[in-house]
Amino acid sequence: MKKFTIILMAAIIMTATLSAQEITGLKIIENVYDRPTGQDQEGDLTMSLINSRGDERVREIKQYLKDFGDMEKKIMFFVSPADVRNTSFMSWSYDEAGKDDDQWIYLPALKKVKRISSDSKSDYFMGSDFTYDDLGDRHPSSDTHKLLREEEIDGENCYVVESIPKEEEYMYSKTITWIVKDKWIGKKKEFYDEDDDLLKTLTLKKSEKIKDYIVITISEMHNVQKDHTTKMELANVKVDTGISDNKFTERMMKRGM
Amino acid sequence: MRRIIITIIILAFAFMLNAQIIHHGFVRTYLGSLTDRDGEYSVMQNTFDWRLDYGKGDVALYVNPVFDYNALNKNLDISLRQAYMDIYFDNFDLRIGKQQIIWGKADGVFITDIISPRDLSEFILPDFEEIRIGTNAVKFDYYLGNSTLEAVWIPTFQPTITPDENSIWAPKMPDFPMPVNYDYSNAEVENKLSESEIALKYSYLGSAIDFELMTAYMWDDNPAMRIYLQPDTLLIKPEYHRLPLVGASFSKAVGGAVVRGEGAYYFEKRFAVENLSVNGVKEKDYVHYLVGYDHNWFGMNVSFQFIQEYIINYEDDIRNDEFSNTITFLITEDFLRETLRLEFFTYYGINNEDALLRPKIAYDLADGFEVQLGANIFVGDEGNFGQYDENDMLYLKVRYDF
Repeated sequence: MKKFTIILMAAIIMTATLSAQEITGLKIIENVYDRPTGQDQEGDLTMSLINSRGDERVREIKQYLKDFGDMEKKIMFFVSPADVRNTSFMSWSYDEAGKDDDQWIYLPALKKVKRISSDSKSDYFMGSDFTYDDLGDRHPSSDTHKLLREEEIDGENCYVVESIPKEEEYMYSKTITWIVKDKWIGKKKEFYDEDDDLLKTLTLKKSEKIKDYIVITISEMHNVQKDHTTKMELANVKVDTGISDNKFTERMMKRGM
Repeated sequence: MRRIIITIIILAFAFMLNAQIIHHGFVRTYLGSLTDRDGEYSVMQNTFDWRLDYGKGDVALYVNPVFDYNALNKNLDISLRQAYMDIYFDNFDLRIGKQQIIWGKADGVFITDIISPRDLSEFILPDFEEIRIGTNAVKFDYYLGNSTLEAVWIPTFQPTITPDENSIWAPKMPDFPMPVNYDYSNAEVENKLSESEIALKYSYLGSAIDFELMTAYMWDDNPAMRIYLQPDTLLIKPEYHRLPLVGASFSKAVGGAVVRGEGAYYFEKRFAVENLSVNGVKEKDYVHYLVGYDHNWFGMNVSFQFIQEYIINYEDDIRNDEFSNTITFLITEDFLRETLRLEFFTYYGINNEDALLRPKIAYDLADGFEVQLGANIFVGDEGNFGQYDENDMLYLKVRYDF
């Protein structure tokens, strides 16, 4: 019996050591990308734009997203400020590596749904510190990943992974992400500009367990070069409520919430 | 007095539903000065554009009264831009009432977008939302996946509003050899069922492409000017005609850019001719189409459109050219976290080498509070834009959205 216990323990230790050795930067990022987030989600998004003087501007959005297997559809309805009220934005993003998102915008003044160029990924979203690309799920195959080290942040053990884009003209030269072990959730992420200088830091402020999923409810993006911050808060989050496929259509973009 | 009563009714309506009603809209001051006319003011307008939304279950209503005070002639104009009810069902919707209906993929050009008439009393300078007149219509939309079938019934014809003949925007009339008199007795379309307009559209929005197919049995917004020779004068009798058309449009992502196209074939459109034996009017089929390209270029949004109008079986006495070609170009860029926007839009008429240049700078003093400074510069001697060469204008708009 004693002999069996020793063999079993040795096997467990060997397996654990082996898996620890085997984990790669790519695998960690894939685990984050594949972390279950539910079939659908809705919530009220509030973005607070805070400049270096502490002045604050607020943008409110109602958003819905749904996983359709090989693609994710997302629709956003702008609530405030008043001049963008009733504007809506829809994007369909694809799991297939290299396939561009489809994006449309509905402007109430024009009263029509307009397909927009997906080349605007490096544009900042509504004047915030998040680019359109920062808000989406970047496909792991878009970057080369390297596990730099393991580190503890706020009492949580993290993998530190460096990701260098394969695309030469990409807006960041690299990103470094702190990923909480076993939870596969980003705790902190640094974005470096073309000169390899630190440009922005994204920090996870709060996450909640809703049903069986971990949902990031408060995060903060700080542009260290311009000392400008965007606080992103997600409230009234509902997961797996069975949002209809019809929510992600031209009809709903025009009709609104 | 009538206006005051309307205002009271609107206010009463708003307060009655106040518990659930959503108010929004804007207040705007707009000042325009003609630079070639010693700075004469052409616009001095204060606008209160009020939008009221109310919804309960599957029924919603929307009312958009507009109060325009013209400080030049001290006139208060109250109008309803839109006022309609929506009824939502599982797979279809109905919209009944005065509404703006916008079709097609073109920007700033009206090809299949002919359902709502236009107010051209200030040429095409106001925002497009303000150029389009709400039309009294019943609109039915049936949805199947990413496809929509839309049918529109417009019981009464409402023509496009043209500039007053004394306005600086009155289009140049052709040179007639004799004095001219007008007779408007035929310039009405009767308000009856048989004179209705109907239009049908199928649209699809999907990953590969978005497209629309349409057909309509309309009235031509521009009346045919029939000319009759009198002993010492010419008598011009404007007359509206039916205008059936078929059209299509598409937009597609191509390598990060968007390519758009739109075209329509109009049957038996009336064209002005010099030949008085046919009373100055001939019927010809006519094609109007465009191709467009939108691209994000180093953070700037750039958009280009080529537009062609073609009169089929052209005859030399027709006043319009057989081919009329126009180019539009738009470039916009945002700065200071989308609080400052620079825009440059231009129409260029190739046939007459005329143009309208529209540079604009807009700055948000606070969220929803915008100051806009712009110019409308007309270039050329003739053509759609060149005819207004004397009307170059600088303008200032201050707008607060609530």
